[in-house]
Order: sequence, then structure tokens, then C-alpha cells
Amino acid sequence: MKSLMLILIVSLISFHVSSQEIDSDLLTIKERMDNVIEARAAAKLELDVDFINMPVKNFDLYFQKSKPISYSSDHFIIIPKRGLDFTWNELFKHQFMTIYRGTEIHEGSTLKVLNVIPLDKKADYAIMTLKLDTIKNQIRIADITTKNEGSYLLFLNYENDNILPSKLTVQFELERIRIPLNFMGKDTEIDKEKLKNKEIKKGIIFLYLTWQEVLTN
Amino acid sequence: MIALIQAELYLIFRQKRTYYGLAAIFIIELFIIAGSWYQGNEVISVLLENLTRSFYLEGNLLNGHLVLYLVLNSLWFNLPLIIMIIVSGFLTNDYKDRTIQTIMLQSIKKIDYILTKYVVAIVFTLLVLVFLMATASLMAYTIFGNGDLITYLNGLNFFESNQALSRIGLAFLSGTILMLFYSITSVTLAIIFKEITITWIACILFLILSNLLLKIDFGIMGDWFFPKLIDTWQYFFYYNIPWSKIYFNHIVLMAYIILFTTGGILLFIKRDIG
Repeated sequence: MKSLMLILIVSLISFHVSSQEIDSDLLTIKERMDNVIEARAAAKLELDVDFINMPVKNFDLYFQKSKPISYSSDHFIIIPKRGLDFTWNELFKHQFMTIYRGTEIHEGSTLKVLNVIPLDKKADYAIMTLKLDTIKNQIRIADITTKNEGSYLLFLNYENDNILPSKLTVQFELERIRIPLNFMGKDTEIDKEKLKNKEIKKGIIFLYLTWQEVLTN
Repeated sequence: MIALIQAELYLIFRQKRTYYGLAAIFIIELFIIAGSWYQGNEVISVLLENLTRSFYLEGNLLNGHLVLYLVLNSLWFNLPLIIMIIVSGFLTNDYKDRTIQTIMLQSIKKIDYILTKYVVAIVFTLLVLVFLMATASLMAYTIFGNGDLITYLNGLNFFESNQALSRIGLAFLSGTILMLFYSITSVTLAIIFKEITITWIACILFLILSNLLLKIDFGIMGDWFFPKLIDTWQYFFYYNIPWSKIYFNHIVLMAYIILFTTGGILLFIKRDIG
């Protein structure tokens, strides 16, 4: 009788947890995102890192469902790995659960705050806080803590109620590159040990996207 | 005096040692380009090793601009030595062959004679630099192509191709003023020492000291001291070019050129020939 009671309690708890695993608004956003099969955009990237001086970079960006975003340019481009997964490929790739954390006001909109916890060990992130605009069904802010690559904060702006953002602002952490001054000078030796110094610096990326072709279901 | 300059240039370009000198410069250039290719790979691998952890990098960084930048780095150290040896020879050979006495027996003024040497030194240096830059650019861009330039000066700097080209051009012009300074100095040293070997040793010593003193801090006085001016061309590869510093350094370097030329001329006029 005792074991029957235990099984019943465990079943009830697991039913309760599974019924709350994924927030319905986030699922709606996922469905909207799933409808985008292919998209192409002209991108403009500004990088604000104190030891990297780079002019504004223009390039083409191509998104294809379930594939990593690809970039092309006539010039050399340097694109941050983290924070530009605005298709939420990494998020939706693995099983996860969400926990409702209330609401907050951001730029005049009421946003729903969720904690996202991965259930699959293969997921790159440890925890994610998402802030959703439940009227326009858009993710507006994401605070992502990765397992190996620090954390980053992502702000997304959209034109009207589009699912693909028109502007991304990514705040991230970066190891400082340590290279002796006059590195490429006539008498400077490369000290690889010094280069591996792990001083953490903050960086900000501004990515402006002008969507040219968006193919949906 | 124009006739004297023409005659002197004619003589220089008829002498085998001029072409040996040019050949030596070209060989050094080949070595530098090969070395730059090797060093360029190392530079990029070290920089990218750090950056690829955080960034996707698309495009070719080991290109003609980077090779030319590395060529400039090596060139402004190696080239002055050859230029100083060849240019000082314009005068020391006249002392050695005693042609200076023959020339002075004709109705040629001492000032015209020595001014000719300085003018020829300038013309020769400019021709060498044009030859060098043309061949280096041809090889660098033909072999390595175009692309953005990456430098590490006060941070990691990326320059788009057209920007890189103009900065390399400006750095080359800055380096030209520096080479003229060394060239003029070598003529002045030839006036002082007259003898070929001693003049060469003096030139080498001058170069070594300039490079050694570059690294020593002289405080405010350092801004006016010529060894501190020899890497002015590097300022063109800072992301924000410090124009006032560049103007100042070039004006001071030009002042040194005028000072060394005037000093050399006065010394030559004052001294007896022989």
C-alpha cells in the first residue's frame, strides 16, 4: 500500500513538472520561428571592444532553417560567435524546461520573464533568462550563461511584429589579447605565454539587419 | 652645377658597384618577403588563436598589405646600411682615387662640388626607394593579393584594403624622409672621415646607436633627439593617426637633414683637399 502511495505521489509530481516544462508563449515564438524556412539580410556590424579597432563592417547574412547562419563579404569580417543566434537554434535544439519569473517593464512594454534550464547535457548553455513580449510574440532580452564561454546579454529590436530582429545588441565577455607592443616590429619576439593571459574584458556588438528575402511556410 | 650633377649621376650609373648595391637591396627584399610570408603566417596564427575562440573570421589576412607592412618593418632597418655604404662611397672613392684633386684643379667651386654630392645622394636614394617599393609592391600584391590589413599598435587594428593602401603609401613617404636623413648623414660622415673603411664603420656605428637609443627614455628631450624619430612611419598604422606627432617628427627630421648638410658643407669648404 505504501509503495502504491509513493508511485502515485511521484506520478503526480512528474505530471505537475512536465505540464509546466515549456512556457506556452515561448512555444508560440518557436512556432513562428519554425515557419521561417530561409532568409537573407544585409548586415552592418559595429564592434565596441577596447583593444579591437575595427571599422563598421557590412556583409550579407543568410539563414536557412536548422542550419548555422552563414556570412559573406568582399572584405575581412570578424563576427562574434556568441549572441548572434537570433534564430534560437541552440535553445530549441535540446530539451529544456522553463520557470516563470514574473513580468517587468522594458521600453514601455510589459515583458514576461522566464528562466530556461536545459534538460540535455549536450546544451551549450547552463541557464538562460528570457524576456518575452507576449503581445508581439518576440524575444526581447536574453541573459545567457554558457557552460564554457562565459555569459552574454542580448537585446533584440524588431520592426513591428516581425519574428526576425532588425537590431541586436550583444554585451559579452572576452579574454584580453596580450601582444607585445610593436608586435610585428623588427626586433620583437612573440611571447605565446603572455598571449594566453586570461584577463576578462567586456565587449559590445551592434548588429543592424535589413531583411531582404524572408521565405516562410 | 646641373652639368656637374648630370656628370655625377652618369658616373654613378656606369659604375658596377651601384648595380651590385641595387642587386644586394633586391636580394634583401626577396629574403624579407619570404621572411614576411613566414612571419605573417605566425602573426596571424597567434592573433587568430586568441580570436577564433570568440569570433568567426572570414577573409584573407595574409595578403599583400600585411606583407608590405612587414617589409617596411624590416626595410627601414636594413636599407639604411646599404644606402649609407653606397652613398658615402660617392665621396670617399673620390678621395681614394684622388679624383677630387683633379676636379678641384678645374674651375669648379668647392661648394658646387660638395652640393652636387648631396644632391646626387638625394636623387640616388629616391631612385633606390622607387625601385624598391615598385618591386616589393609588385611581388607582394601579385603573390599575396589584396585584403584588409591587421596591425597591433595600441590595440588590434583592422584597416580595409583602400585604407591600408593609403597608410602604406604614407608610411613609405615617411620612410623616404628617414632614408634621406641617413643618406645625407653618410655624406657628412664621408666628409669628416674621408677614408672608405672608417666611414663605413662610422655609418654602421651611427645606425646601431640610433636603433639602441630608440629604446631609451630621454624624457621631454627625447622628442627632439633623432633616434626617437626613426619609427615615425609606424604612427600611420595606429587606428587614429596622431597627425600632430607625425608633423612634429618630420619637421624635426628635416631640420636635422638641413643641419647635417650645412655642417658637412661648411666643414668641407673649411678643410684643405688632400
